[in-house]
Parts: sequence; structure tokens; C-alpha cells
Amino acid sequence: MNRFVTANPSKCIGCRTCEVACALAHSEGAGVEGLAPESFKPRIRMVKTADVSTAVMCHHCEDAPCVNACPNNAIVYRQHSVQVEQERCLGCKNCVLACPFGVMDVVTVPAVRQFAGLTLSMGVKAQAHKCDLCIERGGAGPACVSVCPTNALTLMDREAMDETLRRRRERAALEAAEVAA
Amino acid sequence: MEKHMAVCPYCGTGCKLNLLVEGGKVVGAEPLNGVTNEGELCLKGYFGYDFINDTKILTPRLRNPMLRRSRDAAFEAVSWDEAIQYAAKRLGEIKAKYGPDSIMTTGSSRGTGNETNYVMQKFTRAVLGTNNVDNCARVCHGPSVAGLQVTLGNGAMSNSIPEIEHTECVLVFGYNVADSHPVIAKRIIKAKERGAKIIVCDPRKIETARLADLWLPLNNGSNMALVNAFANVLINEGLYNKEYVANHTEGFDEYKKIVDKYTPEYAAAITGLPAEDIREAMRIYAAAPSATILWGMGVTQWGQGVDVVKGLSGLALLTGNLGRPNVGVGPVRGQNNVQGSCDMGVLPTEFPGYQKVTDPEIREKFAKAWGVPSLPGEIGYRLTDVPHLAETGKLKAMYVMGEDPAQTEPDLALVRKGFEAMEFVIVQDIFMTKTAMFADLILPATSWGEHEGVFSAADRSFQRFTKAVDAKGDVKHDWEIISLLATAMGYPMHYDNTKEIWDELRELCPIFYGATYEKMEGLGAVPWPCRDLDSAGSKYLYEGNVFQRPGGKGLLFATEWRPPRDQLTEEFPLILCTVREVGHYSCRSMTGNCAALQTLADEPGYVTINPKDAKALGIRDQELVWVSSRRGRVISRASVTDRTNKGAVYMTYQWWIGACNELTIHAVDPIAKTPEYKYAAVRVEAIADQVWAENHVQQEYAKLKGGLSNAVTGATKKAPAFA
Repeated sequence: MNRFVTANPSKCIGCRTCEVACALAHSEGAGVEGLAPESFKPRIRMVKTADVSTAVMCHHCEDAPCVNACPNNAIVYRQHSVQVEQERCLGCKNCVLACPFGVMDVVTVPAVRQFAGLTLSMGVKAQAHKCDLCIERGGAGPACVSVCPTNALTLMDREAMDETLRRRRERAALEAAEVAA
Repeated sequence: MEKHMAVCPYCGTGCKLNLLVEGGKVVGAEPLNGVTNEGELCLKGYFGYDFINDTKILTPRLRNPMLRRSRDAAFEAVSWDEAIQYAAKRLGEIKAKYGPDSIMTTGSSRGTGNETNYVMQKFTRAVLGTNNVDNCARVCHGPSVAGLQVTLGNGAMSNSIPEIEHTECVLVFGYNVADSHPVIAKRIIKAKERGAKIIVCDPRKIETARLADLWLPLNNGSNMALVNAFANVLINEGLYNKEYVANHTEGFDEYKKIVDKYTPEYAAAITGLPAEDIREAMRIYAAAPSATILWGMGVTQWGQGVDVVKGLSGLALLTGNLGRPNVGVGPVRGQNNVQGSCDMGVLPTEFPGYQKVTDPEIREKFAKAWGVPSLPGEIGYRLTDVPHLAETGKLKAMYVMGEDPAQTEPDLALVRKGFEAMEFVIVQDIFMTKTAMFADLILPATSWGEHEGVFSAADRSFQRFTKAVDAKGDVKHDWEIISLLATAMGYPMHYDNTKEIWDELRELCPIFYGATYEKMEGLGAVPWPCRDLDSAGSKYLYEGNVFQRPGGKGLLFATEWRPPRDQLTEEFPLILCTVREVGHYSCRSMTGNCAALQTLADEPGYVTINPKDAKALGIRDQELVWVSSRRGRVISRASVTDRTNKGAVYMTYQWWIGACNELTIHAVDPIAKTPEYKYAAVRVEAIADQVWAENHVQQEYAKLKGGLSNAVTGATKKAPAFA
């Protein structure tokens, strides 16, 4: 099973600590000084509706629409997760359209490009932008999970999923017993 | 990388953290396993450190003493000698001409720490000769301190923050936990996981209301009616603890007479709540084996704040929810050291350790310790009275330390008039703030991170914080500056370090005596009272149900509900209530200079409005709007949300352009003198030309930032006044 981060709406207080941690974890070592409103693009987003506060992020789908939609095989399954091989990304935005959760985006970063023997300094490189489970952080795991002050975020792997399902089945069995009586 | 242990400088949770330092600069923060936070931090704790490094995002750090010789002159950088001599001379003159009571000082509830506050009140009393010292608890939990001191004998939280997780019922009244104390919100979530019942009384759907078992969206301004109705239900449904009331309280008969009128049906009309919900709330509260009431500004920032606090403590007394673990009354103190400001006696009514200035024996004790013949015995002025006192000529000088009244007091136009009316204003701060722009003399201090000391967390726990980096520029520690000023005014004062100050005050405050620096090493936290050297402090108060008032019994108190002061009219039909947001803190001079926090939220800030009200006014989400009251007008950004109740709008008090305090009313509680920030009559208007509006905000913001920046850079370029 692909791992993914889940948010528990009954614990989320909408503080956005996760968003900042995510942005910093992907800033290639730049500290807070590198943050600015125009370039602030966390891969986890806090959402507040009338009744719900929670964070939404990539589900690392088993049969991912983004993987299926990419015309250049830039999105792959790797290390029990869905990862983007950025060198192959065209920025075509098929994946953005395909993702039902709204957690894929395309961003561009300045880059030097070669074209027809010319070096263009004002080029851009497109990147499909989504949660990568902080795999570059080594063993530290997802930054968002480690900072959430209410522990609303959990890294769900097969084991944790099985445990959750087991507990729910037990609860269902107990509730069924009450109703039957 | 170095790691220096500190306590977060933002809210009163008192989260312990390490400041990470590289090359003499603070580069990060990581949580520690402190008593109150247990390894958690919120975004302010994690990402609210870079202001120390003078980012100049909002306003520059102060680097030199500065003075201006007339109110229309620019600031000049001066030496410390000149600055201190000037201050001593001016204050001395004003004291001689108008008397000691013509001068007012403030303590600071932020990064400076308890030791500084002790020194400031010592200076005010022993050197200036007045009790005119106050702090921002005046606009915050002042009513809680005043109310609980009367009913229970101690104005602070009765139980500790960790205990909140273990209580079986949390009654949250006028307190937005998630935005004020995120790490305490975690405690409430854990309590709920353990099966605790959560009841929330708040007009709007705050985060805690989402997970509440019962949410009572009472009308803005109906607190006393609801609290009286709660008491009515507890008594008339026989839900109260008769034995506890008989043995440990007094005033029951008088109390019952007053609350008898407040049946749920009667209160329903005032509160807008279904009578059955009022009953249900108290059935849940009374049924819990242990229950905790937590409250915040939704209780205190009202003209009837003290009364409501007394009423809430009555509910705890009626049900015996005091004097043991996991229960109690919790006025959760907002700022990181506002509890400490009160502990250290930067109050017009009390010396450090809650010893009254009106008590001649106490005065003699302090006078003897401080080497003066006598100390003033009249209660001093309150911060909220300053503008009026200045305008009527009673206050001539003010020494503002670590506070930004030009941002945080109500009716800012009135505040500005007050500053302008005074003859001499000293501002001691780490940033150039709007308040500093009113100063005649600016004294630059070291910031949190650049000095050590002790904070008092919301639950009375003393915790130490240490220095992480050296301060840059020609700055001094607050307590050093005050000592120099005292010496220049003829009272030699000198301390080598904060521990010396702490040990001096311990000798004078019996309830703090056992709280030594040694006990606070590392992650140590000592909740006062801590009277003996071998005591670990008091996690909870009133053990054995002994209340700290004459006779040892708790007082049951109720009074009639009074409506709020400002009048809703056709011209001003909406209620403005000022609140907090989680990503910025208080006057925003610190968080506004933090890159991460400024990235998330910036001027002009939001005014939240219910969709029905927005539609009627032609206002769309994210559009800029005008918000006006009888006192002023500001621009803000509309956030149209169902979480806001119809008829009311909410703004946070962090914003300098979208400054809600231009609109609030200076109507204060008669006892605590705390302003009614929670109720101002306003009008919200759509702005047709949004392009103009966006430009206007940016221009005003740039102008403000430019003005503050130029005041500092302009001063450093000038040559000193004399060689």
C-alpha cells in the first residue's frame, strides 16, 4: 500500500503550522527568510468550511489518476508512494486536472534552458507539485506530521491502516451487539 | 549548532523550546518536553524567532537610544549617558513640579521577564514615589484577577494546564482556545478522547465548538444572564453540592435571591438560547465527577467582566469543583508573561506577590528592604485611565516599557490625544512601534533570545528561559536601563544579573520564596505558591477547600445583567467584537517581523462577516471594505463565513492598517477598568473600486513602514548632540 498522510478533522484547529513546515522542508535548506507570500506553495493545505477544519494533501493513490494522466511518465510509484520525476515534467497540467482532491499543482521555477544551440537564461522549468512524503528528509518523515500541535496528522502505512480498520471492526461489532439486544 | 533553552515569548501556555543558533544568529526552534507543552509547539513557537535577527519586515529593531528635542523634530541617536541624564532630569523636573503621581510607568508582559518587572515597580515606588504602575493585564484578565480575588482569594488559574487533559467536563466560556493557546487546545482534544464532555459558550462557531458536545451560541453581550441562569438551574434542579456549599461557601441566600429571577426561560430572551440547552449544559457540568471552567477575553473584555468572573467561580463553588486535581476555574492568561506582570506587582494596587499597597505593614516591609523612609499608600492609576488623565492634565509623563498602547488600547484616537497631551514620554522597546513614534526619548532594550529570566505561565508556573545570542547595537537589558535611571535620579540601583533580582524578590514575597533558580533548571517549572525551599510548588489551589479569603470560605456572588454600552443604531447596526488569530500575536511587532508568519497573513487583516449580512451589504468574500464606528474608520478585508454569527463582525487586533481599535469604545468595567473590546457598534460598507482600495492599503502600509524605518535610520545618521 502506498503511504500517505491523513488529517483528523476533529483534532485540526486550522493553525497552518503544517503548511509552513511543508514549505520549509522543501526549501532546499533555505530558512524562513526564503518564505514570501508570492512563492509560498505548501503541498498540504488547511481548509476551513462552515463545519470542518482539516488539512488536505495527496493520497498517494494506488491507481493514481495523476500517474495515468501524465503523457511523459513523469509520475511514478516509488518507495510505497507516488513521486514525480521532475526532469520529465512538461508542465502540461494533465495531472492537475486529473487529481480529484485538488492537491496536485504545477509550479515553475526559473531555469537556464538550451534551445537550438542558444542558452536562454530566462527560461522556466515546470514541476508537478504535490506531497512527496518528505522522502528527501531521510528518516525524519513528513514535516507536517512532526509539527502539528494537536497531533491531527498521521502517516498512514499498511500497518497503521490495518490497526485502524481492526479497531473500527471491533467497534462495529460492539455496536451491533447493542442494537441487536 | 548551539541549542539554548527558552520559553516561547508568545502565549501563556509556556511552551519550552530550544533556540537553535549558528554563527551568532538564531536559525530555528525545536520543542522540548516542558511541563505544559510536552514536546509540542504551534507555528509561532516553531517559526516566530526570526524577529530577533532584525528582519525589518515590518519595523526595524532599535539600535541606539534616541531622543527628539521637540515633538516636530526628528529623532537623534544619543549616547546612553545623555539619554539617562536627560530622562532623569525631565522626570525629576516633572516630579518636582507636579508631584510623583503625575508620572505613569508600565511593566511588560512580553519577552523581558519577571525580574525586569520587579525592578520597574521598585523604581516606580521607591524612586518616583507613586503607585502609578500598570501592565496590559488591565485590558485582558484584570477582571479575572479582581473577581477571583474576591470570591476565592487568588486571582489565577486554580489548576494546572496538564490537568485539563484529565478533567471530565470542560466548560469553555468566551474563550477561543485554538487561536489563543493552540497547545492547550490539544489538551482539550485529549480530554475529549478520554471521554470528557465539552460545553462551549460562544456566539460564533470557534474551533472548540466544532468538537463540543453542546454549543451555546449566546448573544454577544449576554454573559451575566447566562451565568445567572446556570446558577439558577444548579440550585433549582437540585444539582448543586449541598454539603460543599454548606461547609465551604458563604453568601448562598443572597445569591439564590438574585439568580432566582434568571430562569432559563427568562435568560432565553436575553441570551437567544433555548432554555432547554441552558438546562442541559448544567446537567452535564454538574454530573461530571470533575469539571473545569476555562474562560478568556469573551468574559473579561466587557463592562461587566468582574461580575461574570465572580459568577463563573460560583458555578465551581456550587458543584465542589475546586481544591482537588483536574477541576477548577481557569482564566487562561493570554500573553507569555502577563501572569508574571501581575505576580511581580507592576500593578497600581499591589506589590509583588499580591501584597496590597494599602497595607501599612507591607509598605513598611518593602520600604525597609528598599532603603527608603516610606512608600506611597494610595492606589495608583490604571493604564486604561491614561488618555483621560493626560487630557485633563493629571498625568504629565509616561514611561512605556515593552507595550504598544497606540495599537492595543481601545479608541486609538483617544490614546493618541493622550500621548500628545503629556509633556514627556519615554518608550523602552526592542522595535520602533507606533507607540514609539510618540516618544520624546526612546530606550532600546535587548530582546527575548538576548537575555535570560523567568516567565510565569498561565497556570502560575515559573519557568526559566536563557540567552541564545548576543544583542546587536547599543542596547541594554531592561532592568539595567531602569537601574541606571534610578541611580541617575539619586537612588543607587545595580544588579549583576537576573538571579540577583530574583533572589531579592523571593525574600520579599512569601508565596514565591521557595521558587529558586535551581528548581527551575532545565525543564523545571515551579507553580506558586511555593513557600518553602523543599516545596515543589502548588499545582492546584485551595487544597482542603480552604479559600484564601477571610474566613476561608468561597463567596457566592451574583448580580443583575447589564447590557453593553455602545448603542446599535441604523447608522451602526452591527456588533464589532475583537478577537485573536493563531498566526500572529498581540500588537504584532514581533510576529510581523517573522517571515513565515507574515507570509501566512498580512495587512489589512480580515473582518469576518456572516453570509446573510454580507449579501445584504453587497460584500463579496476577500473584497476590501470600510468598517466604521462612532470613533473612526478603517479598511479591512471581508471574510464571508458561516462560522460568524449574523449581526456581528469580528476583527483581530494585530493589524496596523486594519486597526480595529480605531473603532472600539473606551467603556470600562467599573472595578477592573478593563475595556469593552467585545462590543462596538459599527457599519461595514462595500468599496466599489477594489483596485483603488488595494492600492490604498499598500500605500498606507508602505507609508507607515517607511515612517517607522526612517525614524530609526534617520537618527543613526545624525551626529550626537554633544561630543
